[in-house]
Amino acid sequence: MESRLLRVNLTTGELKSEAIPHQLFERWIGGSGINNWLMWEHFLTHDINCDPRGPDNIFVFGVGPLAGTGAGSGIKGRITFKSPCYGIFGDSAGGGKFPYMVRFSGYEYIAITGRAPKPVYLHICNEEAMLLDASHLWGKDTAETHALLQKEHGTWPSKTHTLTISQAGENQVGIAGVVSDALRIHARCGGGAVMGSKNLKAIAVQGNGGLPVARPKDMLSWSDDFRKKLDSNEAVYGFKRRGTLGAVEMYQHIGSHFWRNNQGNMFRGDEIRSDNWVKKYQKYSEVCSSDCFIACDSKYKIDGTESETAKKYIGETFRRPEYLTTGSAAGALDLRDWSEVAHWGKITNDYGIDNQDLSCSISFLMELKQRDLISDRDVAELFGHEQELRWGNMEDVEACVESVVFQKNTFGQLFRDGPYFGALKYSEIKGQNFMKYAMYGKGGASFTEEMRPFPTWMNNMAVASRGADHLKGIGLIEKFQRKDLSKKYFNGRTEAADLSTPLLKGACTALVENQVALLNSYGVCLFHWMLDPGGYTPQDYYGKAFAAITGIDRTPEELMRDGERICNLEKAINSRIGLRREHDTVCERWMWEPTEEGMYPGKVAADMFNTVLDEYYEWRGWEKDSGLQTRAKLTELGLDDVAEVLAQDRALA
Amino acid sequence: MTAITQIEMVTGAVRYAPGEEVPNVAKKLFALRNQCTECNVCEIACALAHSPDGTVNPQLARLRIDHAPEKPSKINPLGIGFIAEICHHCGNPPPCAEVCPTDAFYYDPETRAAVIEQDNCIQCMECVPGCPFDVVFVAPSGELLKCDLCGGEPVCVKACSTRPEMLNEGKQYNRLPVLFFEDQPEFNRISKQIIEKRDEIGLMQAMLERGEISSSA
Repeated sequence: MESRLLRVNLTTGELKSEAIPHQLFERWIGGSGINNWLMWEHFLTHDINCDPRGPDNIFVFGVGPLAGTGAGSGIKGRITFKSPCYGIFGDSAGGGKFPYMVRFSGYEYIAITGRAPKPVYLHICNEEAMLLDASHLWGKDTAETHALLQKEHGTWPSKTHTLTISQAGENQVGIAGVVSDALRIHARCGGGAVMGSKNLKAIAVQGNGGLPVARPKDMLSWSDDFRKKLDSNEAVYGFKRRGTLGAVEMYQHIGSHFWRNNQGNMFRGDEIRSDNWVKKYQKYSEVCSSDCFIACDSKYKIDGTESETAKKYIGETFRRPEYLTTGSAAGALDLRDWSEVAHWGKITNDYGIDNQDLSCSISFLMELKQRDLISDRDVAELFGHEQELRWGNMEDVEACVESVVFQKNTFGQLFRDGPYFGALKYSEIKGQNFMKYAMYGKGGASFTEEMRPFPTWMNNMAVASRGADHLKGIGLIEKFQRKDLSKKYFNGRTEAADLSTPLLKGACTALVENQVALLNSYGVCLFHWMLDPGGYTPQDYYGKAFAAITGIDRTPEELMRDGERICNLEKAINSRIGLRREHDTVCERWMWEPTEEGMYPGKVAADMFNTVLDEYYEWRGWEKDSGLQTRAKLTELGLDDVAEVLAQDRALA
Repeated sequence: MTAITQIEMVTGAVRYAPGEEVPNVAKKLFALRNQCTECNVCEIACALAHSPDGTVNPQLARLRIDHAPEKPSKINPLGIGFIAEICHHCGNPPPCAEVCPTDAFYYDPETRAAVIEQDNCIQCMECVPGCPFDVVFVAPSGELLKCDLCGGEPVCVKACSTRPEMLNEGKQYNRLPVLFFEDQPEFNRISKQIIEKRDEIGLMQAMLERGEISSSA
């Protein structure tokens, strides 16, 4: 299998094309696995404690081997870098047609280092790559930049697809993301700030090359089988219709929303709880990227008949909000009209900024105001003018968004790296401890969901390599109480599906992290697997597609080992940066403040937190006191070279 | 109908005698408009099935997915969506074969589909504008690409995933994929099934009347 890597040194303007050796796929599978390795290699020769906004940071884009080969499992491009907002390992996945097109451009991985002397963008067309002047794009948002690049490069030899940053990325706002095709954001961890700090405005890609499949007949029959399986799975139809938005109703039922900075866990407002919006637009369903049998997304176009508030947004067209957009708008900020939720999704995407980090920052400040912990004067000081901070007021929210994106005022500057660092700095300025109201895990902003009743989810928030995160070890077994899966993976034991006990929760995180690492390395979407986590297993079922495409035959056990190896490399990067057990923690509200409503009242994270964390380290084979990896575990995974580096950095147990 | 004289297979075997009339493709390859999600799996499957060396390249597919340039209509009030541009397998001889100066088209005896014989093709591209539906494509190498129905089981149809019941003005339709390859009775059955679901005119019927279904009928 021939895959190519494009190395770009922005300081010197040097572009180098390299073939990726087959052994690298044998060891790291592809996708996020190879991205992580490229980052690890880079920081062997560069200081890992460098400023993430400096030229020494690396920005890697990669797509996995299953993407675009008819596997029907979606395509997720992945960006990997040292996170400018949290200062630790950072990566983020995203759809759009960009990663699909990258597959046919001749390069599957792009590693960018250095800093360009002036704004540039990278244009790749069938293995020909060049850096072009981007001064005409600077200062434009992602939609405008995308439109200009599409116009400039046209439709030959293929349509142009782009990965762009907005003004937020240019201003090196830590929570700025990177947007694919102006529609799909790689939001987490601040990839936009890394691109902005490198003076790289965009990557535009075109290509009409082919990509090799080792056993085409096997691939076609696997794909046929997978489609039939999905078409006969009832859960899939619900997902095809509503996507993650279907979770609104279910989360309302169990009390898993994040209302007003998680002061509650149910949405208020009748309209926001109904699925009229979903019904109206489900007809226009489409895929987020390509090569997907589900297509859970759709478009909306506001015609003003939806509600009184919608009249403000007549004509606005964008993609329908998904769950976390709704969770941050209708939950964290308490916006109660669907058109406002949709508009929130659109502006955060056009400004290329993570709406989880941003909503947690805004709702933090709104809560301080609600509790009269800060006065109107304090707010005026932050914004440079009088500013109201009312729950559910779109004008106030938009003022906050613009403050951060354009770094207009003190509020924008304080909260450019998310709620944790913002709250720390603001507490210091005011000489008061406001940390109780900041929602975070491991320094990263919370996902706008209630976590307290769900020990696996809480553990994810504390241990995920990229800061608070629910995807890396997503607790499906627990939230859907799948005793069958718990039995399957843990020798007949059912505790992983039981919310009342801390047992097997840490084990479950470790197991699922390995599975997710595999899926991320294949370069596919997680949703297909989630719709039948016992059926479409990454090690077994997807393993066959991986073999058909790459010709690498692996047993399920070997693939799980590969997944574990990828997780351990992410951990090693963080250990070198200096992360220990004390960093694997969550915010005070989750830890000590009991839930008051929903199906599970009176829950705090502290009940089970340490037991679960201990068990997690145990199943990982890491040392409990320091949270560091052991040489024995790394040797077992064939990572002796990694253990050597960690030992030199005193980051090995 | 004009008779076709160029009827030699790639293998050299004569399938139809010169002057003999070639029957039409028995089944219909058709697509529902605006129900497509632009997942491109049909393109990928087509490219993979026709690839001589096992490489995937959607640019070599014999169909394309594109934005539906729709004006808002009753069925599609927002005027957004995607369509599959597929070969309609017009009655024999099809317009693409008729304009061919080198008679490079032959007829697959199994499916009766008109197929390009690459050795005879001089890449003059007459068939590209000759096709009334713009579905003869040009590969990056200059090779002309036309649907050959994959020997009777089109992989694009196989690869097309079923859509959930789509609601329209409160009424439900059946779960259907976007691409079909069906004979006349089955085509009628699908249409009828949909009519039964609705009180008034069937979706398929309505779409046919408005020219929103592409079919070889």
